[in-house]
Amino acid sequence: MPPLSSGQQGGEGRWQPLEVPWTHTNIPPQCVQPCCRPLCYEQSEHRLHKSSQMKMEEMSLSGLDNSKLEAIAQEIYADLVEDSCLGFCFEVHRAVKCGYFFLDDTDPESMKDFEIVDQPGLDIFGQVFNQWKSKECVCPNCSRSIAASRFAPHLEKCLGMGRNSSRIANRRIANSNNMNKSESDQEDNDDINDNDWSYGSEKKAKKRKSDKLWYLPFQNPTPRRSKSLKHKNGELSNSDPFKYNNSTGISYETLGPEELRSLLTTQCGVISEHTKKMCTRSLRCPQHTDEQRRTVRIYFLGSSAVLPEVESSLDNDSFDMTDSQALISRLQWDGSSDLSPSDSGSSKTSENQGWGLGTNSSESRKTKKKKSHLSLVGTASGLGSNKKKKPKPPAPPTPSIYDDIN
Amino acid sequence: MCKDYVYDRDIEQIAKEEQGSFEITASTSTEVSHQQYSVPGLGEKYPTWETTKPELELLGHNPRRRRIASSFTIGLRGLINLGNTCFMNCIVQALTHTPILRDFFLSDRHRCEMPSPELCLVCEMSSLFRELYSGNPSPHVPYKLLHLVWIHARHLAGYRQQDAHEFLIAALDVLHRHCKGDDAGKAASNPNHCNCIIDQIFTGGLQSDVTCQACHGVSTTIDPCWDISLDLPGSCTSFWPMSPGRESSVNGESHIPGITTLTDCLRRFTRPEHLGSSAKIKCGSCQSYQESTKQLTMNKLPVVACFHFKRFEHSAKQRRKITTYISFPLELDMTPFMASSKESRMNGQLQLPTNSGNDENKYSLFAVVNHQEPWRVATTPASSGTTRTSGSSVMMPSSPRPVLRTLDSEGYLLFYHKQVLEHESEKVKEVNTQAY
Repeated sequence: MPPLSSGQQGGEGRWQPLEVPWTHTNIPPQCVQPCCRPLCYEQSEHRLHKSSQMKMEEMSLSGLDNSKLEAIAQEIYADLVEDSCLGFCFEVHRAVKCGYFFLDDTDPESMKDFEIVDQPGLDIFGQVFNQWKSKECVCPNCSRSIAASRFAPHLEKCLGMGRNSSRIANRRIANSNNMNKSESDQEDNDDINDNDWSYGSEKKAKKRKSDKLWYLPFQNPTPRRSKSLKHKNGELSNSDPFKYNNSTGISYETLGPEELRSLLTTQCGVISEHTKKMCTRSLRCPQHTDEQRRTVRIYFLGSSAVLPEVESSLDNDSFDMTDSQALISRLQWDGSSDLSPSDSGSSKTSENQGWGLGTNSSESRKTKKKKSHLSLVGTASGLGSNKKKKPKPPAPPTPSIYDDIN
Repeated sequence: MCKDYVYDRDIEQIAKEEQGSFEITASTSTEVSHQQYSVPGLGEKYPTWETTKPELELLGHNPRRRRIASSFTIGLRGLINLGNTCFMNCIVQALTHTPILRDFFLSDRHRCEMPSPELCLVCEMSSLFRELYSGNPSPHVPYKLLHLVWIHARHLAGYRQQDAHEFLIAALDVLHRHCKGDDAGKAASNPNHCNCIIDQIFTGGLQSDVTCQACHGVSTTIDPCWDISLDLPGSCTSFWPMSPGRESSVNGESHIPGITTLTDCLRRFTRPEHLGSSAKIKCGSCQSYQESTKQLTMNKLPVVACFHFKRFEHSAKQRRKITTYISFPLELDMTPFMASSKESRMNGQLQLPTNSGNDENKYSLFAVVNHQEPWRVATTPASSGTTRTSGSSVMMPSSPRPVLRTLDSEGYLLFYHKQVLEHESEKVKEVNTQAY
């Protein structure tokens, strides 16, 4: 193989021009078989003694002195080396000639771009953690833009696959016959989407360990629910479930006695110490005990006040925390104090603040008339949907053996 | 005359055709592709890829290259948790780091024949591979994948934490069903044996031999399987006859007395088992009801072997998770668990793999899925000694001694990749996973 010109040496100069006596080999490049013979000086000596035919000249080996023998051994050694390299050289030669020799090298720019970063506080791309909270995607079913971390619960409802979706649908159908028009506007403000968690039965209304933060996509993602939970569904229907959210508290100062009374027949009503507002959850709300409820009623309505019976079918603790688009439109009372998101930073639970949305039972329609005063306040979803004010959020939903096990 | 070698394409073409009809032994090797083809005497040659002129021009105009190597981020990308979907993210990471699957999808081998391609899960996988190997540092949002899986595998639909193993099987099933297009030429030859990429990679053959105790007739059935589910010590229903750690460490697992190894689990899985007098089987050869023994072995090993530890127990009253630590090796030889090694097992001996150079049944670990809150997966470019772990969306660099850490973790799903692949006509192609 003739020596390649210097311009074709690899940038590193890793091989040198060879002079291979190819007259006796005659190997066309395609059929080259790289020689795998181990290169060994002793072997070349061995070969020397055995392969005198390979030599061009006739020599009588016995008459040679050591230095000549060594020279011949050296030459054979060089032959062996070259034979071994031959295949490789042909390939490189071919690659260079056909122009694809340097194709596979990574260009230095790419090397820098894609190199793995290994520093504390950064991920492998050199980015700071947790900056990806606001990713959004488009739901393939309804074509709405949904926050990525809320996509799964949204999709469940969107496809009608959730546990509750069929119940909601049935309710919708049932109630659509009963709805009257004047309330239908206000109905729009209701959020009846079922929530993804349920309260325990009354027995479990007292402190449950599920009081811990329940929807933490970046933390413990396993919500808990025991089997005995009944899922209470929301009511009806709103075709725009994502617009509104349930809120939890009512400022009772502004309510008249009549309203109070009706409210207390359908809702929990216990006044939160933190917000000084009444709880709008169902009469079986696990946040508060029956004692508390009785106390409130006595306080407002006199000692004859009775805790009303609860029909489970009317209970509704639903709220929707799916889309961020769902944004947090909250309804607030005019002039009420700002419902500042006093959340614990990591929690995304949507605790209901303010009032209205998500109410609860059908009787609370009366109280909904107040909504005319309300203004919709959309709050930006910094962390996602609602900020919770209540320190103890309700229990999350799904049971799964993996959750319990954890 | 410069005496230089000249390469003429026409002559080469003629040469190729002529060579095809002769027996030759040819081997070529290039430093870059790390592959060696050895074709013992069958005339069909697998040449290295060479560019054509238009390709050359194209490559010249676009000098930037992306390499999949252990020091580059290509192939690594976080996945956003869509709401309790980290089990899915783990499986996706494991699948996208499967070397042979990666090669299939990145070379665009899928031909979609679904009536509506937007519902094809294989197409979505294809685009997923493109996304994850793009080098894009921001995490990917696999919402389309979730949507498709829920549509096609209804039993998985629903917002809740789920089992990664269940998801894996369902996903493989859907992919298998949607792979019809790639099968085109071969389907006709064997209608019972699907030749889609999923079957080629994941399907192994589990052989079940029932031996009649009276006449010693053996009835054999071979079932396709996508994974091997292993019982663990410490479960209520398992019968664990061997004291763990008794045998010498077969596969180089870290061997501490009292620690169960993957090999122990496999040994138990493939042991002959007496079925008991309450389960007499009608023997085909002696036509009578007799007691029998049953033994499971591997008849055909899949390219990618997935081992599933049965950590979740459902008894009548409770569900619990078995947290027994199982030690598993980086390299695994499945020879002792094959059907062909059965005779030596009958005596209760485990045939230890010899270093005979038979690499056919050797596997390398490339992904581990753990069920510790939250689901995590560690994937490793095999034998490079580094791992990347990913939770939901963050790709963490490997920490010092990452290999040990992975091996110390409480494994739930283990993914092993064969080191040597065979072609149908028994040509041997060696895949060096270090090229990863």
